[in-house]
Parts: sequence; structure tokens; C-alpha cells
Amino acid sequence: MTSPIDLEGGGTAAVTDGGPGAEKKKSEDPGLVGRSPGQLMWLRFRRDRTGVIAACVVGFYFLIALLAPVIAKLYGKNPYTVYADERPELFDSAGVPVQPNGGISAEFWFGLEPGNGYDVFTKLLYGIRTSLMISVAVTITVVLTGILLGVTAGYLGGKADYWISRVIDFLLAFPAQLFFIASMPVVVALFVHPRDETPTYVRVLALIIVQWFLGWMSLARILRGTTLALREREFIEAAKVSGAPPWRIIRKEILPNVVTPLLVQSTYLLPNFVTAEAGLSFLGVGIVEPTPDWGQMFSKASTELVMQNDITYMFFPGVSMIIFIVAFNLLGDSVRDAFDPKTAR
Amino acid sequence: MLRFLVRRALGAAVILFLLSIVTFLIFFGMPRDPALLICGKSCTPANLENIRHVLGLDQSIPEQYWLFLQNLVLGSNDYLQGPCPAPCFGYSFHTGEAVWDTLIDRLPTTVSLTIGGAVCFLIFGLGTGLLAAWRRGTLIDKAATATAMVVSSMQIYFLGPLALAILVYQMQLFDKPAYNEFTKDPVAWFGGLVIPWVILSTIFAAQYTRMARSAMIEQLQEDHVRTARAKGMSRRYVFFRYAWRGSLIPIVTIFGIDMGSLLGGAIITEYTFGLPGLGRLAVDAVSFSDLPLLLGVMLFSAAMILLFNIVVDAAYAFIDPRVRLS
Repeated sequence: MTSPIDLEGGGTAAVTDGGPGAEKKKSEDPGLVGRSPGQLMWLRFRRDRTGVIAACVVGFYFLIALLAPVIAKLYGKNPYTVYADERPELFDSAGVPVQPNGGISAEFWFGLEPGNGYDVFTKLLYGIRTSLMISVAVTITVVLTGILLGVTAGYLGGKADYWISRVIDFLLAFPAQLFFIASMPVVVALFVHPRDETPTYVRVLALIIVQWFLGWMSLARILRGTTLALREREFIEAAKVSGAPPWRIIRKEILPNVVTPLLVQSTYLLPNFVTAEAGLSFLGVGIVEPTPDWGQMFSKASTELVMQNDITYMFFPGVSMIIFIVAFNLLGDSVRDAFDPKTAR
Repeated sequence: MLRFLVRRALGAAVILFLLSIVTFLIFFGMPRDPALLICGKSCTPANLENIRHVLGLDQSIPEQYWLFLQNLVLGSNDYLQGPCPAPCFGYSFHTGEAVWDTLIDRLPTTVSLTIGGAVCFLIFGLGTGLLAAWRRGTLIDKAATATAMVVSSMQIYFLGPLALAILVYQMQLFDKPAYNEFTKDPVAWFGGLVIPWVILSTIFAAQYTRMARSAMIEQLQEDHVRTARAKGMSRRYVFFRYAWRGSLIPIVTIFGIDMGSLLGGAIITEYTFGLPGLGRLAVDAVSFSDLPLLLGVMLFSAAMILLFNIVVDAAYAFIDPRVRLS
């Protein structure tokens, strides 16, 4: 259970116990070497084999997302070529690849997409790129909003706290998924005249805005709780007594101490944003063809043409996403354990 | 109890009221010209004028909202399509039907999907979770935990089409999922929904497995459980009568949230299997920019979530006598 209390405990552990006794005993270093909480966390994390493997897998996904254009160039194809027009001999009359297993061959590593005949390998690469880009952007905006409102509410208390908390409660009552799909066209219409074609960057922007709007509350609530607990601690009092202005206290005393819950929560949030974004594109309100997108590949996979003729195609987006989400969740657990060894799973 | 329910209902009504304002602002206040959005890409000036007139878009936003509320509470006879009795959300622009009637029409599908799915995921999920906790540390436990981890990372939009492709299209073991009325043909009702139920429940079940397992393990370490065991009560009795009761609170909490959001429309499941429920209605409403319909679905869905929040809070009192409602 990731209750705020656990995480508060995590925060304090990182603050006060510059070097917990148990840690010292375990590490081989005999001399008393001072270690920062960050170093301790890193040491604990490195010892967790599952966590390291998960981190490698996640890193691999981000790497291929970043390098998608390079890889595609080396591979010699791009996700926009309509092979159904360029190489009609590869497809039958329904648009299904003639070769077995979705047209997998030495030339097309992951086969061809039924219908338009895009190259699945590059399409998946670019799709992961689009999805991760959007999700990372959402995570960043959510983290910034969460810090701003959560820490403000927790530190100032009183009226500010009351109103921010009410807004959080209120927004949590929103049916999130429904709100996402419902508000997408409205947000798009803010930027584009309804009669014009919608450019891709507007859709991306709309996806980010919509997910951000209902995404920041859980993080803000947790940060509020952590800050509330920190505010009563002696070192904050000491800073106040010595005349530090509130801004300095927040920046120098509070922020470094909310890094733990922040990092842990972000690793849980990001995969949620990835699946939510993919879900929207699956429903046809997110990214649309021809821009490659992870979720939009699922929507292609659920067409009758694919379901009837070419099951192979479904596995590429499906399995790659399962691996990504499993790895990210395992990484999240490991990060939490590394920061906060006291919480038993 | 009654006082608690009344108070919570009033609180929910306030939230619903605020929610309606925000939703209304988003749909009618934010777009520069909602009529144009509703009218779509192929819009004639006459159509546009008609929409503006019917929605009262020539008036200011507060006036529009007041009109909306008035219609909602009192009903309205001003609509071109005909009279609109009390919970009047207006008429859908795409189908020309009253929004409230459409919602009621779609509700049985969503309710069937939710209830069947909930039965499946409670049985599978809690069963596996309890088994894993009972046999903690064994191979069964590890297998259950690992499976739950992987399955909970799967998505309905992957599993659903995959199940359809294999079971319906390739092996032809089942008919395409569809909604048949229970009162008319229970067998067809069951047969048409069995794949959606199983797919919907696998993903939920995995969450419940993890939750039930960890809650049970936590409870089994409690003092009163150990005391009961020390007094010589059988392991099974303690497991089901002591620990199980204690682990119900978190499970009921999540169950209430899940039921609320599912009853507001299991959007992806309904869309994947082509079931005409509330979620499907919402997706269709979006693709036709049917704002009155969207507003109706949003408020309905939010009301479901709030309703189940109250139900959960009331249920705490039954599960845990220490919880007092006042």
C-alpha cells in the first residue's frame, strides 16, 4: 500500500538518518564514511537485481524512442511509406500481407500492417516515441503542478490549504476517462477552427493538457501530506528562527525532502499516462493516422481485417507494451524499496 | 444511519452541481462557437442558426446554464423535437432523441456488463488472492503473484481484440459479443456477454489478487489473530473469520470505486466488443460532437461514482463496527 504515511516515513528516513546503522553494518567499508541519502539509495538500488534489470528495460525503451529516426535510417524504411501502393505484389486483394505471419521477412522484420501496409517495425519505433514523448510531457507538467500546489497547501496551511484540498477532492470526483474523451474535441477546438484539419501537434498538445488537468491531484495530495509533516520538524523551525524567508525554506529545506515521494510517485504515474494515452488513441480521439502511435496501433489491431486474417500484427504493440509496463512497475517498486527500506512489501 | 445518508447525499448533490457548472463551462463556455463544433465539418448556415436558437447560444453563458438547470429540474416544452419531461438534458443533435431516454436505454447493457464482470473478478481475483495468502511462500503463491503482476499490466485494448480474433474469428467457438435482453432470452444474454465479462474481469481480478493477498498477510500478523490461533482455533476458522473480515475494508473501498466507474461506462470494453452501453455512447457522442449527449453522460457517470462512494462509506459500518457514521 502506498499510503501517504508510508511515504512520509520514507521522506523522514532520508532526512534524518544520514547513515542508518543497519546500512553501515552491511556495507564492507570499515571506516566511518559519511554517505548522503542519495548515495545510500543508489547503493541499495544497485543491490536489487530485479530493479536493475527493470531499469535497463525501461532505459532501452527510452533509448529506442529517442533514436527512432536513426534506427529507421539504418534500417532503411520509414513509418509513412504506404507499401500497399509501392509494392502491391506483397499484399492480396484485401490488403493482407501474402507471406505468412503478417509478412515477416528479412526485409520487413516485424511484417507489414494489413490495410495500408506500413512497415510495422518502424511504425512501432515511432509509435513508442510518440507515446513516451506525450507521457513524459504529461508527467513533467503533473510533477510541476503537484509540487506547486501540494507544497503550497502543505506549507501555508489555513485557507490556501483548505481551498486546494477542496479542489483536489472535487476533481477526483470527475469520471476521468470519460472526461478525457469528452473534452478532447473541445480542447482541440480551442486551437483550431472546427472546419479545418487538425494538425498533429495540436492533438499532442490537447492530449497533454487533458491528461494534466485530471492527473496532478494524487501527487499534490501526497506532497501536501509530506510537507505538512515536515513543517512541524525542528530543522524547519530552526530555519524560521534564523530568519529565512518562506521561499528559501521551501526551496532549500522542503523541496529536497519531498524528492523521495516525488520520484516514487512519478515512476507509478508515467506508465499510467502511457496506457491512458494509448487508450485515447485506441478510441480514436487521440493521435490519428498517419502519425504513428502505440495506442493507434491497437486500434488498427482491433479492426475486423486484422482480427480475421493477421493475428501476428496484434502481438507487436501488445507484447511490447506489456513488457514496458511490467518493467516500469517493477522499477517503481524497486525505487520505493531503495528509498524506503522500512516499508515491507 | 438515515442522517448519515441524507448528509452524504446532500454533499454529493453539491459536488454534482459544481461538476455540472464546470462541465457546462468546458463544453459551452470554452469553445469559441459551440454551435460550429456541434454542427461539424459539413455545416449549412441554416443548421447552424437552428442549433444556436435551440441551445439558446445567443444568450450569455450564465443565462444558458440557468436555462439548462431549469430544463433539468422542471422539464421543458420549448424543444423543436417535442416535450421533454423532468430530468431534461435536451435532445441529441445527432440522433434527435431525448438524451435522458438514450441514457436509460443504454443503461441495461452497462449494468449487465458491470454485474457479470464484477462477479467474475471477485471470484477469480479474491479466490486467487486468498489462496496465495493461505499458501504463502509456496510455489502457488509465487505463481499467483507473478501472474497477477503481468496480467495487471495488460490492457483491455490488447486482450479484447486478441480474444475476439482467436475465439470468434479464427476458432469460431463463440458468436460475436452482443447485448441481448435478459428478460427475453437469458441464454443469449449470457452467451453474448461471456467474453467481455472474462476479459474485463481478468485485468480487475489481478488487482484484487494483489490486494487480497497483501491485506490478508497483513491481517494474519495482527495480535488478535495470533491470540485466536494460540487459543487453539483452527487455522481455517481464524483465516476466514478473523483475518478475512479485517481485510475487507480496503477491498470494499476499491470495489466501490470500481463499480462506480464501471457503471458510468466501461468505455474501452464496450468499444472493443461493440456493446451499446454508456461508454460506447460517450465515444459516439464525441465523434459526432454531440455536446448535449456528452454533458448527459458525464453527469450521469459522475452521479454513479458519487453514489457508490456513499454506498462504500455506509458499508464500512457493517464491516467494521468501530466505524461510526455520525
